[in-house]
Amino acid sequence: MKVKIGLFDFAGCEGCQLTVMNLEEELLQVLQLVEIVEFRELMSERAEQIEIAFVEGSICRPGDRERLQQIRDRSQILVALGSCADNGGVNALGSDRTPEVLRQQVYGSQLPHLYTETPQPLSAVVKVDYRIPGCPIDGREFLAVLQALLLKQQPELPSFAVCVECKLAEYPCSFDYGQVCLGPITRAGCRAICIDGGGHCRGCRGLIDNPRTSPYHRILEQYGLSIDEILDQYRTFNIGEQESGK
Amino acid sequence: MSQRIKLDYLTRIEGHAHLVIERKAGKVTGCRLEVVETPRFFEALLQGRHYSDVATIVARVCGVCSISHTLASLMATEAALKIEVPPAAQLLRRLLSYGEIVQSHLLQLYFMAVPDYLGAASLFQLLDAQPELVRRALRLKRVGNRICEVIGGRPIHPVTTCLGGFSTKPEVGQLKQLRQELVASLPDLEATVELFAEFEYPQFSRQREAISLQANGRYPLHGSILTSSSGESCSVADYRTQIEEYLLPHSTAKLARSRSGSYMVGAQARVRNGAGHLSPMAKKVAEALQLEQSGNNPFENLKARLVEVIHCIEESLHVIDELLLHGMPRINSNSTPVVGGSGTAAVEAPRGLLFHRYEYAADGLLQQADCVIPTAQNLASIEADIQLLLPQLLDQPEELLRQQLEMLIRAYDPCLSCSTHLVKLDLA
Amino acid sequence: MVPFTPLPDQTEPPPDSHWRAMQQTEVLRFVRSLLRAYDVFGAQNKRGRIVLDALQDAADLLLEFPPAVHSPKKFLFPNWDQLFRFKLDENILLQPETAAPPRIIFGMHPCDLHAVKILDDCLFEGETDSSYQAKREATLLIGVDCTPDEYCFCTSLGTDRIAAGFDLFLHRRDDLYLIQTGSERGLQLLKNHAPETFAGAEESPLPLQVKQCSNRVKFPIESLPSLMEEAYEDDIWQELGHNCLGCGSCTLLCPSCYCFNVQDKLEINLQEGQRIRTWDSCQFDQFAKVADGENFRSSQADRQRHRFYRKYKYLWDKHQRTACVGCGRCSRECLAQIEPVEVLNRLFAASPQPAISNQPGSEYQPQMARVLEVRILSEQDRLFRLQLPQTLDFTPGCFVELSVFGLGEAPFSIASAPDGGKQIEIVVRKAGALTQALHRTREGDSIGIRGPFGSGYPLANMVGKDLLLIAGGRGLLAIRSLLLAALQQRQQFGRITLLCGGRNIESLMFPQDLLDWHQSGLLDCRIAVKDKHNHWGIPAVDVSYLFRDLELNPQRTIAAVSGPPEMYRQINPLLFRMGLDGEDIYLNLERHMKCGLGKCGKCQINNICVCQCGPIFSYNSIKHLGEAIER
Repeated sequence: MKVKIGLFDFAGCEGCQLTVMNLEEELLQVLQLVEIVEFRELMSERAEQIEIAFVEGSICRPGDRERLQQIRDRSQILVALGSCADNGGVNALGSDRTPEVLRQQVYGSQLPHLYTETPQPLSAVVKVDYRIPGCPIDGREFLAVLQALLLKQQPELPSFAVCVECKLAEYPCSFDYGQVCLGPITRAGCRAICIDGGGHCRGCRGLIDNPRTSPYHRILEQYGLSIDEILDQYRTFNIGEQESGK
Repeated sequence: MSQRIKLDYLTRIEGHAHLVIERKAGKVTGCRLEVVETPRFFEALLQGRHYSDVATIVARVCGVCSISHTLASLMATEAALKIEVPPAAQLLRRLLSYGEIVQSHLLQLYFMAVPDYLGAASLFQLLDAQPELVRRALRLKRVGNRICEVIGGRPIHPVTTCLGGFSTKPEVGQLKQLRQELVASLPDLEATVELFAEFEYPQFSRQREAISLQANGRYPLHGSILTSSSGESCSVADYRTQIEEYLLPHSTAKLARSRSGSYMVGAQARVRNGAGHLSPMAKKVAEALQLEQSGNNPFENLKARLVEVIHCIEESLHVIDELLLHGMPRINSNSTPVVGGSGTAAVEAPRGLLFHRYEYAADGLLQQADCVIPTAQNLASIEADIQLLLPQLLDQPEELLRQQLEMLIRAYDPCLSCSTHLVKLDLA
Repeated sequence: MVPFTPLPDQTEPPPDSHWRAMQQTEVLRFVRSLLRAYDVFGAQNKRGRIVLDALQDAADLLLEFPPAVHSPKKFLFPNWDQLFRFKLDENILLQPETAAPPRIIFGMHPCDLHAVKILDDCLFEGETDSSYQAKREATLLIGVDCTPDEYCFCTSLGTDRIAAGFDLFLHRRDDLYLIQTGSERGLQLLKNHAPETFAGAEESPLPLQVKQCSNRVKFPIESLPSLMEEAYEDDIWQELGHNCLGCGSCTLLCPSCYCFNVQDKLEINLQEGQRIRTWDSCQFDQFAKVADGENFRSSQADRQRHRFYRKYKYLWDKHQRTACVGCGRCSRECLAQIEPVEVLNRLFAASPQPAISNQPGSEYQPQMARVLEVRILSEQDRLFRLQLPQTLDFTPGCFVELSVFGLGEAPFSIASAPDGGKQIEIVVRKAGALTQALHRTREGDSIGIRGPFGSGYPLANMVGKDLLLIAGGRGLLAIRSLLLAALQQRQQFGRITLLCGGRNIESLMFPQDLLDWHQSGLLDCRIAVKDKHNHWGIPAVDVSYLFRDLELNPQRTIAAVSGPPEMYRQINPLLFRMGLDGEDIYLNLERHMKCGLGKCGKCQINNICVCQCGPIFSYNSIKHLGEAIER
């Protein structure tokens, strides 16, 4: 009997679901073990009961809350897929302004009844059993979490920082290029892909469990970078958790 | 008696939408494509951000066309800050765009359209009956993703792109390997052409205007001149003179129209305005598929997409050869940004024209952003097509009606995740 | 395949090493040929960094480079190492994969080769780690000399050179390479892949290249275990813990850190899997977590301390070598700039040091002297000019005890003259561990010193007399001190004659000084060597030959003889024959002086303690001592 899984989305770019689709070869193998019973982007079918629900996106509207609650009600396990679902992600970037102000800025005064709330992670509405962080998620991590769940194990995320994966891959350090990098305090699991691409870490996978903030601040000072610069970067994907970064 | 048909949660499209049809005494009185994708106010989110962060954030508008958003954003900022992009980087950007078009088109063709024509609810349903078809679909999609991976670092939200070009370049070995993979995909593409040649496409015709970037010696992709099938053209920087966004009185959506009204963008529009510049192989495929070039039958969009896939694969081979032949002496700008000012750029995203326009203050922070996405421009066309198609379908059972209308909407491959400001809510 | 044996602990080059000259172009041909038969890994430039990676094109191979980002550990003890495969349902253990394809690491620096020894120590000890062994067996190691950068501190640890443990080693000599074979496998490799080189003439061995590192531990590294013994509760660990990001880069990049984790990785089908080994780091939060969630090393300060103790204490206690090879990888990549050299130097500076005593030599604790200058006299002799905490009152012929924590101390004659200042010169001849450690000290380092001890030449009694100084070998040290003291007040003395002998020119301790004295006109300096092929062109004679036309007035002559025991037996009779009195002949008696305080008894000749009454004795004062072989 194949395990029934569903993929759902709320406010987001669908990039995490697409990452699952992009597993291609592995996806075919996964389909030997699981049955995708609901995936609006690619399927017309609907399902009543779901064993594992993967949910992308943040919650912005009352209708979202109800739909998420319904998904929770018919799912045994609910996994937050990607930063938007995990902590609000980029959607929360406007948290410093009220939704009304944002609406005014984009639509003017012409859509008075367009109602949204400050984007929230899934956990603000329902119990989230597990999370796969990242913007977008890493396909291999999705597979690892799915594997663990299929084996009735607790999925585990790396507890170490992106720096580890960066050093293992022998990438040049972003700080040496004068770039603010969140690698030292951000949870690994992405194989330092942004640093591989010549950029720096913007912390899309969130903080490690035990971020060493005080040494980190010292290093920033050493490189002549300000706390504001780093917070600006940190806020890109983590505005919901901003306080803990201070 | 008035009746309201609501097709909730259209499936196999990118993003969320409902279709609402109102009829009275057998006549259609209203038809709305309700986009219920949550507004995320990206243009507002960008305000106050430093120019070096804008592209990374705005890529998150859409996972499906994140490369187009990234490139349009970078090009708009480069125009504003007067940053030059070296030729090798421009080549790499073209290659990256080709990769996105290939993977996006194949996703739409196989995963969203094929089930309609083979009578399945999803491609996964065909896994047992036609495993080779599903495998081929995944193999081909992989090819597009591989281009994005090698050039952009990953298929979604590229990590190698930056203002002025690229922050890292592919290794020669990787390009050679990619070339081999592209060549190896040709038999699969051939089989795909055969598959799509067999489908029976619904007959439908409505006159329309097609707008795309001008084929400036090359099939439209990146460029600075807009062109219309009506014969008009203008500079991309002046897109607001050609295209205006407007609100429908009965609805709350921002749509776009040209001076002549609704228009289409995307594969069909590009083929109509630039068919002469298709690659030799693509031209042959267009012929084999009997692609009609007027673009008046939206169902033919599928054929146009497949033709573009062939074109992009063939062009990618040429670009790779050029990169291998001349090397990549410089992939990043060495000019100093002139901070402050405004810039506009347009790229041909898989679904059509994508505009980004930014204004920067002297401190390098973004003051004003405007993004016009392809689907916003096609929305009026979709509604116009539905209105024309509906009377023929009204007597059919709702399930069939739904299927037919969904097929039409899917033919446009609307991407509603791109909800920068494409919002239409019916809370009634 | 040649049977595999772990690296021997060798300091001398294997006597059967072959040496061949190799032109640059031949090296390139050699690498090309190797590439056709093996997977070759070597240093290459990748994205502006030097990394060891699979070599595609021989032209990409770097031969002279500072340490690469990762060490060759990544090939011999990889981060992802399959131990075996299994089938889940059937509980079947599939054959473990131990076979590794034959391959070559081309570009092992001496420090990397030392690090392999450390890995060998752990992984071959007790139960042999078969996965590691398979890789070691299948991997040929080709060494090259390093170009140290500012992070390297191999010279402080003696890991800048290596005599064995490689299959081949390429030494740079001018514009070509001297290739040294280190094993039968290496010889075969040369024979098969560089036949022209193999057929070339045997070259003479090159002395091991001495590197120059500006980054240095400022004390002899042998002091580390005792230093670390005292440093466990030092505040420095709290400071490191406060600064450390816990990213583990230091241990991951370390060529000799081997702590690992073992986990199962399943295939997507959930039917098969592999048990794999991945690198772990003692710097990670969960490293020391036990089953009930307790963490026995819960603070980053504890973890940093553990790391330093692993590197500099625990493995020393076990294998008598540091588990650090001074490659500097950890500090090169540490964002928090935690640098072992700085930490160790700070620990040393803060270590308890004796209060400056008004009676130097009255206790066992050394004071710290700073090395002002190191002069290389010859391959085995180095002169150290030391700066002492206070002025040193001594007479020529006195000695000091130099000490290295962890290795103890040894007596050394003072080679300079007493000048009322705080500086003295000591010559150290490389012999055992202590002297080797002293040889590694550099300008700016500190070493322990006690003394002066003993009684020297009674300079005051010599005023107004002719001096006849006779030195052989190391005996010149005390004589030099005496001579320099006399030359400081040249007019106080009559004729000064120095007769100095040695086996050959090379064995003379101060050849330059001898030449200078010879030409100065201030004294009659005569030199004799036994080697007739000497480049000074002096007759091959014994030092006694120099007496043949020596004119001296026995009444106003005082003789000082200093040299090996057999020299006294030869010279003393000559002096008596020339009419000198036993009271005017001074001998230098070398004994094993340990405490310098006349207590330990090690230097005792019959009832006399050399360290207190000597080492300079008049002939008469010892002529009754049966054990004084110099009589």
